[in-house]
Amino acid sequence: MKTKNYRLRSLLFEIFKYTVTILGLLIMIIPMYYMIISALKDNATTFIYPPNLFPRLSLLDFRNFIYILENTIFFRYLWNTLIVAFISVIMSAVFSSLLAYAFARLHIPGKKVIFAVIISIMLVPGLALIVPQFELASMFKLTNKLSGVILFYTAWTIPFSTFLLKGYIEDNISKELDESIYVDGGSPFTVYRHIIIPMASPSIAAVSILNFLFPFEELGWSQAILKSDEIRTLPVAISMFFRAHSQTDWGYVFAMTTMAMIPVVIFYLLLQKYFVTGLSSGSIKG
Amino acid sequence: MFIMSFFDWNIGFQQSSPYIGLENYIDVLTDPIAKRAIVNTFVYAIVTVPLQMIFGLAVALLINGIKKFGIIFRLGYYLPVITSWVVVALLFRYIFANTGLMNYFLVDVLKIVDGPVSWLSSRWSALASAMLLGIWKGIGWNMIIFLAALQAVPRNLYEAADVDGANRFQKFFYITLPSIKGTITFALVMLAIGAFNTYTPIAILTGGNPMHQTEVVLTWMYFQTFDALNMGYSAALSMIVTAIIMIITVFLFGITRRKKVA
Repeated sequence: MKTKNYRLRSLLFEIFKYTVTILGLLIMIIPMYYMIISALKDNATTFIYPPNLFPRLSLLDFRNFIYILENTIFFRYLWNTLIVAFISVIMSAVFSSLLAYAFARLHIPGKKVIFAVIISIMLVPGLALIVPQFELASMFKLTNKLSGVILFYTAWTIPFSTFLLKGYIEDNISKELDESIYVDGGSPFTVYRHIIIPMASPSIAAVSILNFLFPFEELGWSQAILKSDEIRTLPVAISMFFRAHSQTDWGYVFAMTTMAMIPVVIFYLLLQKYFVTGLSSGSIKG
Repeated sequence: MFIMSFFDWNIGFQQSSPYIGLENYIDVLTDPIAKRAIVNTFVYAIVTVPLQMIFGLAVALLINGIKKFGIIFRLGYYLPVITSWVVVALLFRYIFANTGLMNYFLVDVLKIVDGPVSWLSSRWSALASAMLLGIWKGIGWNMIIFLAALQAVPRNLYEAADVDGANRFQKFFYITLPSIKGTITFALVMLAIGAFNTYTPIAILTGGNPMHQTEVVLTWMYFQTFDALNMGYSAALSMIVTAIIMIITVFLFGITRRKKVA
């Protein structure tokens, strides 16, 4: 009797769970849906009243997408953005996981102060940093080069990534595992490679997903530094549509934004497997 | 920037920038619009930060327990995060416009209200729209962070709890929450910093209008820097804001650490 009751309750809970998740999902994707629909429509019908949420299929076509591909060097922008994204994601993952490990585990004099300094870098509004950073970039001859964007993005994402990874290591990875490596004659680097990296992989995947997005979003700095057309990243290229014409062609903006989302989605789908329960081996926590 | 805040800073090499001591700070602190911008920012932070975290964690917990079609949910909730702020802010402006989706639903579909509500032209409803945008866009970010954290909660603890006959809420409060404390601190601090640096939603939804009613710190700073060319004023404002965020961060680290002892 008791088990039957329990089974009914968990069935109800399952139904409740799916209903809530699906309702939430709809709210999350309605604006997205509207963007894609608008990208497929004539510009004039984007912001009309009453809104046309379910336009007839005959009204939809790919003219905005074709315009983008024919009239801009879209694939060049995409390539630039991907290069920036991949290099900065990898550099940031390597540096921040090493830093996080050091802050979480190693005995370094004054590490609390150093950590506080790294955190406080994030407190300054990004807007206020553009001018001094531009001076720094021109000193190292990094302006109008992709490397200028890559280095600064890496520098911006390191504090955030270190902060997350440090919390994760402290929370979830048992010190006993470290000690067992030391007993076997391993070095701190062995611990880093064989304990920290595999066990922190969900968290490293999470920061990499978020860091990968950064070059696809960031506008202030990339706009300031990338002046030639052939080295622009996607956000800078999209922003050109805001200014090039007195009346913004929303169809083009939405079409380009939709296309720019594709690589981010693919990267996310590749890395999200680290979030699936059961893949990471359970840790022994004392 | 620190130095700039003590001068009547002028751009251009010909003009001199006289030292004026604390005058910029006094200007900021006696300015009713700056005060309102700071209040608006605080309200924005206090509303959006906890709601984003609660929804994000709830979604992460739900999705973590879903086996079938999990990938669709994981992707769907992340989509708002990857659409650029500018585009989603424009969409929200359209949703809350007088002739937008929200009024269309309320007036023509549900027929709850008689005429269109002008959401974006009064202080609190415009801020509420911006907060809704902030929360909506932030849920996916929190979901990612919490999903990663949930992977590391040792499974044998849940099994032990099952043996002891613990219910879902007990498991959540006694196992899940303590295991992801570091991540919660992280999210709290990051979101608080993010909330104080809100710019795009307000800039696009209202531009700080009507009459600077909906100004937040960063939009006001932007206005002072680029429209009013008050470099010293905005440098002083940004020093004040940085100080506020620093105090909040220290405070947040403080309360989360105390919980660890208890």
